[in-house]
Amino acid sequence: MIGFVLRRLAQMLPVLLLASLAIWAMVYAVPGSPVGALVGENATPEQIQATIARLGLDRPMLLQYWSWLHHALEGDFGLSIQNREPVVTLILQRIPATLQLGLSASAVGLALGVPVALASALRPRGWLDRMLSGWSALALGVPTFWLGILLILLFAVRLRWLPSVSAYVPVMDDPAGALRNTLLPALTLGVYVSGIFARFLRAALLGELRADYVRTARSKGLRERDVIGRHVLRNALLPFVTIVGLMTASFIGGAVVTEAVFTYPGLGRLLIQAIDARDYPLIQGCIMCILVIYIGINVLVDVLYAYIDPRIDYG
Amino acid sequence: MPDDAVLSVRGLEVAFPGGGQAVRGVDFDVHAGEVLGIVGESGSGKSVTALAITGLLDPSARVRGSIRLGGLEVTAADRETLRRMRGRDVGTIFQDPTTTLNPVLPIGRQVIEGQVAHGLVAAGAASAKAAALLQEVDIPDPVARAGQYPHQFSGGMRQRVVIAMAMAGQKRLIIADEPTTALDVTVQAQVLAVLAERRRQTGAAVILITHDLGVVAEVADRVAVMYAGRIVESGPVEAIFHRPRHPYTAGLLRSLPRLDTVAARLLPIEGQPPEAARLPTGCTFRPRCAIGRDQTLCATTDPALREDGQASAAACHFPLTGLLPPLPRPDAGAATTKGEDLLVVEDLRVHFAIRSRLLRRTIGWVRAVDGVNLTIRAGETLGLVGESGCGKTTTGRAIMGLLAVRSGCVRFGGEDITNMRRAELRRIRRQMQYVFQDPFASLNPIRTAGEIVAEPLRIHGLYEEIGGAAYVAGLFERVGLSPDMMRRMPRQFSGGQKQRIGIARALALQPKLLILDEPVAALDVSIQAQIVNLLQDLQQQLGLAYLFIAHDLSVVRHICDRVAVMYLGRIVEQSNRDVLYENPVHPYTQSLLSAVPLPDPDLRDRTRRIVLRGEIPSPARLPSGCTFHPRCFRADAICAAEVPEFTCYPGLPTLCACHHAGPTRPEPA
Repeated sequence: MIGFVLRRLAQMLPVLLLASLAIWAMVYAVPGSPVGALVGENATPEQIQATIARLGLDRPMLLQYWSWLHHALEGDFGLSIQNREPVVTLILQRIPATLQLGLSASAVGLALGVPVALASALRPRGWLDRMLSGWSALALGVPTFWLGILLILLFAVRLRWLPSVSAYVPVMDDPAGALRNTLLPALTLGVYVSGIFARFLRAALLGELRADYVRTARSKGLRERDVIGRHVLRNALLPFVTIVGLMTASFIGGAVVTEAVFTYPGLGRLLIQAIDARDYPLIQGCIMCILVIYIGINVLVDVLYAYIDPRIDYG
Repeated sequence: MPDDAVLSVRGLEVAFPGGGQAVRGVDFDVHAGEVLGIVGESGSGKSVTALAITGLLDPSARVRGSIRLGGLEVTAADRETLRRMRGRDVGTIFQDPTTTLNPVLPIGRQVIEGQVAHGLVAAGAASAKAAALLQEVDIPDPVARAGQYPHQFSGGMRQRVVIAMAMAGQKRLIIADEPTTALDVTVQAQVLAVLAERRRQTGAAVILITHDLGVVAEVADRVAVMYAGRIVESGPVEAIFHRPRHPYTAGLLRSLPRLDTVAARLLPIEGQPPEAARLPTGCTFRPRCAIGRDQTLCATTDPALREDGQASAAACHFPLTGLLPPLPRPDAGAATTKGEDLLVVEDLRVHFAIRSRLLRRTIGWVRAVDGVNLTIRAGETLGLVGESGCGKTTTGRAIMGLLAVRSGCVRFGGEDITNMRRAELRRIRRQMQYVFQDPFASLNPIRTAGEIVAEPLRIHGLYEEIGGAAYVAGLFERVGLSPDMMRRMPRQFSGGQKQRIGIARALALQPKLLILDEPVAALDVSIQAQIVNLLQDLQQQLGLAYLFIAHDLSVVRHICDRVAVMYLGRIVEQSNRDVLYENPVHPYTQSLLSAVPLPDPDLRDRTRRIVLRGEIPSPARLPSGCTFHPRCFRADAICAAEVPEFTCYPGLPTLCACHHAGPTRPEPA
């Protein structure tokens, strides 16, 4: 089991290395430079030269990459060009907030999506199924920024129950405050993702319900809820955990719009700010961090997969 | 209705919205300890009848009539009562053991959960009871096995697990729906033996649903023959097989190739079974019936099932009388002279690499084909038989050049084609064509039949040169299809017609050799006979050579001139057809032949069956010495140590690879 996880992680190392090179090259390929932003419009050529030398931007590209990689491996992603703070510090501040939002959004999505899928699959093409698939289409179709603004208007502006600006409150320190601050953004993302979850799980359940082993289970005289709960669900979970993992991973750094609507201090917004400022070290650090979390979630999904399906062995 | 009937079905009708009447008035009884065989081709309504008995039909199905199981009227019972009935009184064995078990739950739990759910076994005693049930169906090490998952069991063991599951508790009725159709003959013999043993122990009534007349002749006490949703004939098994009254029953028996004799030609039933939504008026069999086709009575009135006073009944206006005459034997002198060697395969090996996970290093080989020698002469048919996984399909594909060959040599018309360049291989492939097993999957669903048949011509740039559409129309006629059908799509054809299209496609390039990979395995008996006859006619007209790959030993005996028996990637015995079937010398051939159930109930107890131990091992871990020795009843020390040579057996035109080759029983002096 531990060997399996280590092996999966080891397989990811070349991916990370290639990705780092790609990120690094990409940042340099886009037009614009942080120097202009730092020195201001009226800088003399000497000032510009000095800044370039100070940032090490005059060295050969590969050398720059090598020294960046070398430091990155030691956990040092350099200093942010904007405010001279270590990139690692900036990112580490955002990671708990991002994880808290991403995980609670997926939890909301599961809480809304799974019962919808189960109810739909039990009576396919029934009135409930029709209503629910209409709802999941709606959940998918409504833009998140619009839903976020609606929620703010309702709960923060009209009802004044929740803050309109969501700060990060660690759930360990202050569960009530964390709930108040995370609920609206998590609901915004969760509603959207519940549509995806419901569709995937419903399709997986319906596919499994046609399988021969379901007929076998019914021929044993099992109750329909046991047929679904004991036999069908576990098989349907196999494709489902993949999509849950992917969507959760996508919230890490990918929930920029929602973070912006709620001014939530997540990784996505940090990345956008870094891009605006051409803050190369911070951009590289953010993307690498997102990638590592993404890979971590994928390995977790693989472990879950092997746990659910005995046909996959850890060996 | 007799009082002791476990199950009594009267006037059962099942209709599906939009699909017509699948079952149209079926009556039968099953008694305790009795095996009723229900025989019919696909679409005859036999499986729908079974599902109706267990109350597992789709909710959209409309059921009329009466199904009484003990004191319970199934058609009127509520869901909860039906559920209790399924848990306590009825067990069902389904066809495909690879899909009937849940892949993610342990075997033991699946075996016992029905009993636990119905309070027949306490939850605490469940695992011990599950192991005991597995023991009863001869699963070795049942306690450890109960904790394993289906993928860790072989096909035959899975079906025995399903039997253990279905027969757990004191079931009064067992419904076995094609229980051995997905299994190899040697495994089928094991499973049928287990089924019979468990039936004796429990005294349950059994309904055996199958298309395999051999299995019915072997196992059933009484037989009901279904056609187009009705029972057309029923009676004791001897009467059905020896004195069939209904022309359909007789037709089925006449269209069946037999293992123990050779007929000059099969007599197939013309046409194909009607669809439930478009039944002919009058007798539904009339369009295919030689007797009733021109009778007005048959065209107007659907005959009722009438008793003949001897426990038999037939639904026919003009029932047959007397014994079924045997099919004409082939002329002894008609043996055709065969041409020169067309295809010579020497020491062919196809190995697939097993690679490690991380670095993809080769850590072993699956020896799918491991030293095969074959010769096919122009105009003759060589049968290649063996159980699934023995490498027969791989051999066929390697000969076609569709797979990389590890070593050995394939010569076609004298030319070595193993290491031929692509362009040259294309030229050779024109003369060598492949017909696939599954006619449903091997035709492109978005092309018309005409385009499918013309495609090889277009690929080789010969379409215009060879005659274009007129030539393709000729091919259609040659395989017994109307040229009008060229514009139809594959889904508009029946299985047998699709296989005809597959054959027409293979014939398009005017090949000299057809590699036929299980060409009739997916077809019903009456359709199978049509295709077999077509293949024989084509061979005569066109002088084709066939490599006939099959697992059905009866069909092979009927169609082949010579037969090679394959086991774990090697040919173990090869001979002339009649010599191989009448005087097999390799123990594997002997057990294969003895495992085939014959469609004659009189031979039931007279044939001595060799039931092989275990199942075919994985070609990734070949046993030492003779690869058959772990299952062989003659094996001794030398067999585990030395690979036997493939050489001539003295006194017979037979090649055999066995240290202890010899006749099944010592010949009487």
